[in-house]
Amino acid sequence: MTRKTVLGEVREVQLAIELIGLGARLQFLEAEVGLSRERLIRLYKEIKGVSPPKGLLPFSTDWYMTWLANIHSSMFYNIYQFMKIHSDEEKVWILIKSYKLYLQQIAAQDSEPILDFTRAYTMVRFFDSDMLQLSTCSRCAGQFVAHAHDHKSGYVCVLCRPPSRAGKARGAKRGAVAGIAGDGMVFGVEPALEGGLH
Amino acid sequence: MNVANGEISREIGDVNLAYMLLAQKLVKQDRVAAMFRLGISSELADMLAGMSLAQILKLAASNFLLCSFRLNEHASMSAVVGEGKDTTLQQAHMAILMSARTLQMQKNTVPA
Repeated sequence: MTRKTVLGEVREVQLAIELIGLGARLQFLEAEVGLSRERLIRLYKEIKGVSPPKGLLPFSTDWYMTWLANIHSSMFYNIYQFMKIHSDEEKVWILIKSYKLYLQQIAAQDSEPILDFTRAYTMVRFFDSDMLQLSTCSRCAGQFVAHAHDHKSGYVCVLCRPPSRAGKARGAKRGAVAGIAGDGMVFGVEPALEGGLH
Repeated sequence: MNVANGEISREIGDVNLAYMLLAQKLVKQDRVAAMFRLGISSELADMLAGMSLAQILKLAASNFLLCSFRLNEHASMSAVVGEGKDTTLQQAHMAILMSARTLQMQKNTVPA
């Protein structure tokens, strides 16, 4: 148990501000930041101007397997893995840093982030608990997010062998993404995704 | 012939200088992010950060290009470039290959 110091608390608040800015959910804040729930909610309202969204965090690994989501997830996880090995910062800061690098990468490509912060964090946990793995594409040698215990030999990634309808219609694809991922799970996430849905 | 060679050397020198200065700027801004972008080890990053302008100029004035292809396998290169892929996807593919590539190089060099 760390002693409460003024500086320590400032750091916690900074961390919370950073995380809320990136779109972290309340459940995540409570787990990672040593501030009371009430203070976190107040901070959240001050920064975002609205109450934190309710509902469960995503808990299905299938979302990460759909076409565009897999590309973005793989991009993020490769960055995260690099940061994990080479950065000596705390785990939560590594997550923040990798997510920011992912956002920069997306901005440089002139596209929109598909993987939100909550999904990114959940994915890291899926990797930690051995539900996801990186598989090496037999054509381009890139490493891509895949279900754990999938056989690795002969794996071809979604970029080397895109599905026939991939990238044809953004709207239709997002619908498809939600159709698969929404299977039996509560879906209170991502304004961007919801915007595409309704 | 000689004139053309001088021209080429100068152009290589320009690229080297631009590359070194950019690399140093990146490292000074954010060390780990720079390691990620440049694909370099921490030792090299620290060395770059500590180099003086005179040292950089001396190193840059060379007949050899200091930066090299990072997609250095035909298979990866053609996978990224190939089949009229749109720019966004190409960039995404590149990002995935690049980050793993630096890791692979690290893995190879660490145990030695």
